[in-house]
Amino acid sequence: MLPPCQARAVAARIPRMMKLPIRLLSRHRLGALLAAWLTISGAMPVAADQSGLPTTRGPASGLADSAALRATVFGTPPDQLADGPQRVPVKEIEVRMPWMRPLPRVLWFNERLRVWFSPQEGEAPLAIVIAGTGADGNAGNIRLLRGALYGAGYHVLSLPSPTHPGFISAASSTGVAGDLGQDGEDLYRAVVRILAHLPDAPRISHVDALGYSLGGANAATLKLIDAREHKLGIRRVLMINPPVSLFSSIGRLDRLFAQAIGPADSGLEHLYQRLYAELANLYRVSDAVQVDETFLYGAAAGILRSDDEFSAAIALNFRLALANMFFAGDLYTRAGAVVDPKDPPGPGDPLEQTWATLRGKTFADYFNEVFAPYYLKQRAGTTREALVARNRLDSLGDALLTDLDCYVQTNRDDLILDRDELAWLEHGFAGRIAVYEHGGHLGNIGSREQVADMLAMLEGRWTGGGR
Amino acid sequence: MRRAYTAVFAAAMLAGCTSTGNVRVRDLPDDRPAESRAMAIEAAARLAAAQEAEAPRADEEPTALAPPVTPADAPSMRTYDPFERINRSMYRFNAHFDESVFLPVANGYRRLPRPLRSGVHNFFGNLGEIGSTLNFALQGRPVYGLRALGRFAINSTLGVGGLIDVAKRMKLPRAATGFGTTLAKWGMRPGPYIVLPLIGPSTLRDTAGLGGDFGLAWGIDAGGFYRSSRNSWMFGVANSIDLRAHIDFRYYETGSAFEYDTIRFLYMRQRLLEDEKLRAEGANLPRSTGTPAGQ
Repeated sequence: MLPPCQARAVAARIPRMMKLPIRLLSRHRLGALLAAWLTISGAMPVAADQSGLPTTRGPASGLADSAALRATVFGTPPDQLADGPQRVPVKEIEVRMPWMRPLPRVLWFNERLRVWFSPQEGEAPLAIVIAGTGADGNAGNIRLLRGALYGAGYHVLSLPSPTHPGFISAASSTGVAGDLGQDGEDLYRAVVRILAHLPDAPRISHVDALGYSLGGANAATLKLIDAREHKLGIRRVLMINPPVSLFSSIGRLDRLFAQAIGPADSGLEHLYQRLYAELANLYRVSDAVQVDETFLYGAAAGILRSDDEFSAAIALNFRLALANMFFAGDLYTRAGAVVDPKDPPGPGDPLEQTWATLRGKTFADYFNEVFAPYYLKQRAGTTREALVARNRLDSLGDALLTDLDCYVQTNRDDLILDRDELAWLEHGFAGRIAVYEHGGHLGNIGSREQVADMLAMLEGRWTGGGR
Repeated sequence: MRRAYTAVFAAAMLAGCTSTGNVRVRDLPDDRPAESRAMAIEAAARLAAAQEAEAPRADEEPTALAPPVTPADAPSMRTYDPFERINRSMYRFNAHFDESVFLPVANGYRRLPRPLRSGVHNFFGNLGEIGSTLNFALQGRPVYGLRALGRFAINSTLGVGGLIDVAKRMKLPRAATGFGTTLAKWGMRPGPYIVLPLIGPSTLRDTAGLGGDFGLAWGIDAGGFYRSSRNSWMFGVANSIDLRAHIDFRYYETGSAFEYDTIRFLYMRQRLLEDEKLRAEGANLPRSTGTPAGQ
């Protein structure tokens, strides 16, 4: 035991030793920096909620028009955002799901499903919000929706996409993401369990579900399951920029990557080298002392110029979300595509080579090497064609189309829809669909118009179907 | 008195965190949509204005002479990380520490009124200008150095001891530097990637730089905050908390097994990009080609 005065001297030294080093981390502002760099390079799964599973429009280039690409990458301009409330309380809730599969050691941090909840004071309706491909339940687009919904008087519960690695580990019963039906079942069970554990038992008058991009399709699936299970009592559903078919778009998405970036290893390397050189040259003539988020946001406009560059950013976003899905699926099913099932990596093992290999894996590879082998074994008698077919919104059945409480918001230039798919939506959801002229994929989420229509739809007072 | 501090500290740590078996609940700082929107609009306007006035300035430091960076100059996508196993376990340790101690405290701090927090932040930032001034001088970048010194002078007086960032409103934004950058200017390569305990991503060079910064602050002991005051430990704690509260980062929020790789990639590229400016300003900093970045 140290004498008190000496102990005090030691205690006094520790925090002092801490303070300066921490300045370093702050100087580099890692978090904000990541976000900014990723806006440009699309280089991380957190940024992946920019898009669903895109198919492309127009045969020749395979690219959407410039305005749509730009809207998709940059999102809603701040001055067009709807007015939000002054403050929205946010609780983070982590729940262990009893059906979770044994957690691979390398994913040790995904033990509980992490969701976010914003409670109202008294009784209120509950909005369940589901994120898009690869995104978590606190992503930027979620925050936009949360602000609008909370401001309109909802309790808001937001969940990660079933394709987010956190969900795959903590709440998937298979470890293989991407099957609309199976993901829906897991999501449904998870929501039921979370609602039973909400802090302070909020009073809920009724439940609505919504989601953007792939999350829209997930929300619709929730409602279909609820019609059978009756555990949630979901009243209305809204799909924001949903995909119509998931797997039939595989070829087109892989082509987008191939066109805009090229072969995964050399193409990505070239993209990186070009980005590095351009950033370096901009930085050298700028007044900035550090490469921080202010600089990077400014640089984004200078670096992203051609349609190809915007396409590359979008394609890369998907590829990196896919890489995480692929890795988890391979690990859980022991498919042996990128990791040795007999010797899976541990938390301390270098993964750079695995990561590089994964970046080269296409959606088609995922389907062929992980997804199809698993489901063909699980569901005796099924075929590859059947697996593809059951992952279409239109295969969810007439229930969706005849359900008058199921609404859609989309854009005429949404990259993830082709003409036929848009026509199918417009026809099938006539009177319950708002189609905006411009916005690309999610490039107008949170705007005044989108928010006003969203709230009107959820409250069943939307009358804009005639325009 | 010390007991009171400790009590406050413990209360802040425990505030808003409950855990029962399978469920963990944590209160996060409120979302402030209206404020975020206003800030985004302001940032967009600033950006537009900056691009408007872009006319490439023959800037303070002459950079025009150096040839532009070409894609062939880009460092390898791989990072020199010979201590990877130790680094990865340190990263994990940092994540645990952040989750259980650092972040809860920072979240408690984030609930304080904004003017109070910005006062604290400006105060620490202002003391940092001393080190920046010296380092800019050592780097041979007098114009930046004078800016840092000017900011210190203005904010210490007009800004009531640094509580208000008056200089920023006079179009003298903060631009900090440290001894790590000075070492770079003197020709030292980044060296291997290192994850430091509690602090996170660094390199051998930046670790040395950190030691330099620390020694400098210790030696100068500005205002007696760093060494002489009986309560300088409180100062250190407050500084750490304020800094953590300003970093919007959450360990493993990505859920990805490749988070370590991604952060290593980004940190190293950021430092290497910053080296490019020093190189353009005449630093004799050899490029490592054909080897993992940093080597």
